[in-house]
Amino acid sequence: MAVTPVVEVRELCKRYGERLVVDHVDLDVEEGEIVGLLGSNGAGKTTTVECVSGLRRPDAGSIRVLGLDPQVDSARLRPLVGSQLQDSALPDRMRLAEAIELFRGPRAMPVEGLLVAFGLADQRRCAFSALSGGQRQRLFLVLALLNRPELVILDELTQGLDPAARRDVWDAIRSLRDAGTTVLLVTHYMEEAEALCDRVVVMDGGRVLDSGPPSQLVDRHAPWATVRFDAGRSSARPEDLGALPGVSQVRRVGETFEVQGDRGMIAHVCAHLVGCGVPDDLAVVMPDLEEAVIAMLAHPAERALEPTGGPR
Amino acid sequence: MNMVLKLVRAELRLVLREPLVLAFVFAFPIVTVLVIAGSFGVDDMDSFANIDPSQWYVASYLAVVIGAVGLVTVPVHLAAYRERGVLRRFAAAGFPRWSFAVAQMAVGVILTLAASAVLLVVAGLVYGLPRVDSPVATVGAVVLGSVAFTSLGLLLGAIVPNARAAQGIGLLVFFPSFLLGGGGPPPAAMSATMRHIARFLPLTHVTDSIRNPWLGLGHGTTDLAIVAAVLVLCLLACRRAVRL
Repeated sequence: MAVTPVVEVRELCKRYGERLVVDHVDLDVEEGEIVGLLGSNGAGKTTTVECVSGLRRPDAGSIRVLGLDPQVDSARLRPLVGSQLQDSALPDRMRLAEAIELFRGPRAMPVEGLLVAFGLADQRRCAFSALSGGQRQRLFLVLALLNRPELVILDELTQGLDPAARRDVWDAIRSLRDAGTTVLLVTHYMEEAEALCDRVVVMDGGRVLDSGPPSQLVDRHAPWATVRFDAGRSSARPEDLGALPGVSQVRRVGETFEVQGDRGMIAHVCAHLVGCGVPDDLAVVMPDLEEAVIAMLAHPAERALEPTGGPR
Repeated sequence: MNMVLKLVRAELRLVLREPLVLAFVFAFPIVTVLVIAGSFGVDDMDSFANIDPSQWYVASYLAVVIGAVGLVTVPVHLAAYRERGVLRRFAAAGFPRWSFAVAQMAVGVILTLAASAVLLVVAGLVYGLPRVDSPVATVGAVVLGSVAFTSLGLLLGAIVPNARAAQGIGLLVFFPSFLLGGGGPPPAAMSATMRHIARFLPLTHVTDSIRNPWLGLGHGTTDLAIVAAVLVLCLLACRRAVRL
């Protein structure tokens, strides 16, 4: 029997005035997944999750969240969904403990453990305006998790956090997934998407460009590699390297050779270097999700680059 | 309903921590009524429909509290919440959109009644309280005026772009309403033009609907009907205007 996705979006469209900001978007999030929405500013990510949250009414298309329509069944759905939204706040003079009391529902988990886990146990009497940026984000995460949601929607959760605080939040999100909670994450941090997401959906201009596990997106959109070594530590000549199968470019940057090409090129270059003397600083640099997304945004119509395509 | 009660409780706590509220709703009407009610001797009773001026003003100043809540406090509060995304957070957490409006309405009325009580105690100690000729009509007018002006405040807060604009517009509307609509000179002392302008100010009708049955100057039903019409119009407009 087919399992119903936790989030099922079909042909979603949303306009602000004349501007189409979400353009026939399809999105599935399966139970227990962490799915990341990635894209530049204005890509339509936040509007998409706001429609999924039921905060905005779609102009066209259908949305089912946990089998319910967010517009029609909002009263049944809201207790099951925890949201942390971009550009939202609490009243300045509201104290942390008061916020928890206000947002606490019948399904709420014990607060003490949450506050300790997120390092907020000593801030109970602090007004929202007195919290640091990191403390505010952690409070939002506490509020999003407070009522044991089945789906958590997090929009730019780690924006403004220092690296250590960001990693603490990542650990918390992984713990959530391990406990069976489904997470829909909006971020523009590629590192965050690569570290956390089982699948990534890349958006631009309101449309989905591609989706899949981060490693698959890298393979599809950044299928190149770079071999790098000190030119003085091998007798290999640039013209010989350039003639090897799969090599698209050989550059000399200072004292370093950079050989670029498809992934198969790595084997040919290494085999060639065995004959010319293997440099002891030999390095193979593989592209990451950021390069794949940049490639996608630069060539949105292309679903995959030619094998000889190089890094931009 | 439980969610609305939680919101009302939280909002009441917050609103009492706002210096603007404490200054404008509690301190301002008390200070001004103490000054103005003591500024006229009993020789000037002709301008006050043969009522002792201090009693006239004590009966008028509940409307000043209503105006301060509806024209300044509520719009600034709501616009600030909209501007900073507080309403979005409440909505995302499962508070229905109407629940915040209902909570604000309750907070507006409670705040008005609390500030009115403090004003009556202070003014009563200094000038004595005028006898209430028609208690039901007077209390009804206070409650209806409070609900109507809180609705007007919600409407203003929903349509202005931000809290600073709400404060500017609110004060711009409040002071003429205050001076011409009950807190300033009596109508008999105004020029014909000022009296004419005053009739177009909703706060004038709130003042008359409270003062007239209180001091036995009439039923104030026409004024009460106008206040009710303001309420209905504001509620209808609010339904269309509320944005997150």
